[in-house]
Amino acid sequence: MRMRHVWMTAGTLFAGLGGHLQASDWNMPVGVTDVSREVYSLHMTIFWICVIIGVVVFGAMFYSLFRYRHSQGAKAAKFHEHTTVEVIWTALPLLILVGMAVPATATLKKMYDASDADLDVMVTGQQWRWHYSYLGEDVDFTSNLATPREQISGESEKGENYLLEVDEPLVLPVGKKVRLLLTADDVIHSWWVPELAVKQDAVPGFVNENWVRINEPGIYRGQCAELCGKDHGFMPVVVEAVEQEQFDTWLAERKAAAAQEAQGVDREWTMDELMERGEQVYGSICASCHQADGSGLPPAFPALAGNQALLDEPERHLDTVVNGVSGTAMPAFRTTLNPVEIAAVITYERNAWGNETGEVTQPADIADMLSE
Amino acid sequence: MWKTIKSVLAAFFGVQRESRRQEDFTTGKASSFIVVGILMGVLFVVILIVIATLAAG
Repeated sequence: MRMRHVWMTAGTLFAGLGGHLQASDWNMPVGVTDVSREVYSLHMTIFWICVIIGVVVFGAMFYSLFRYRHSQGAKAAKFHEHTTVEVIWTALPLLILVGMAVPATATLKKMYDASDADLDVMVTGQQWRWHYSYLGEDVDFTSNLATPREQISGESEKGENYLLEVDEPLVLPVGKKVRLLLTADDVIHSWWVPELAVKQDAVPGFVNENWVRINEPGIYRGQCAELCGKDHGFMPVVVEAVEQEQFDTWLAERKAAAAQEAQGVDREWTMDELMERGEQVYGSICASCHQADGSGLPPAFPALAGNQALLDEPERHLDTVVNGVSGTAMPAFRTTLNPVEIAAVITYERNAWGNETGEVTQPADIADMLSE
Repeated sequence: MWKTIKSVLAAFFGVQRESRRQEDFTTGKASSFIVVGILMGVLFVVILIVIATLAAG
């Protein structure tokens, strides 16, 4: 009677736990793709198999310890081998493992089948941001951390999506198979969105494939999952899944904006325009290393404010931004930034924080230089 | 020969009867166990490759 009560309590506990786990932050999310659902159900199946094994093994152990204790006059058995028992305890784990491997392999096969995609997106990891390129659509942009610096330094209260918010999310259509081609410019990164069950390494010099077909519109957040340097925790991934119609509109707007930007290259820019644009670019791209006030973090990240070499040698300044400096953390920005952005950020760096050179760099000159 | 194969299979599995072990060590030849062991190791790998190919196809 008492024993039955214990089992019933345990049963209720586990049933309650199963339901509770699904909704809690302690467990992996069910996610919003067919694959993520499969991964979740695999995870739960294997979890419960482990629970059952644990209960049986530890139950048998504790029962034996108690039932055959020394004070009750138990005598140890002294036999050397027992082939039948040995065969059972070898065969049983083998069968359990194979039993888990079969459904797991079936899911892995689906995860790796990136063929017949409706849309290809190139995902490039950079220290410390993600760059997205919609292949064949002429749309590409950089996705930077949008959490204000004051929240990070503790000067203001942390927002709801602290360190999980970006200026430009990756926008994808729902119900379409999107192939992700992942690579990196500098070190190994990993593109991870739990709700999509995608965690794929982005390795310099390699292109890894993965794919998603998102079932529900929404915003899904993730992070870089491969330690990649100073701001590893400051390059989140945000995916915004929208209906196809909304996606088409967004893509068209993006293309129009890119076309307008391309036109901007040819005209003459004023100092004020370049400074305004440059501050924007500097804040999202450069400030994580060289700091918002240009003071840098020497010796790894030199100060730009009052930097004599920068002030004296405009050519070298330009070359550093466009081509990077090999052997240092300074990357090349010739592909990340467009001519307008490069001209603006150079003008800004040469005229901000007391750097008063008065020199203006025109986008057209940068475009000429890049096309050479 | 059949006995050698059975002993190698038992070694793969990790369980052997003590009487069979004694027998192998008194009447068996080391070289035959080594040769059969290597061949069956190769066969095992081939079987795994076939299973993997079937599963992927």
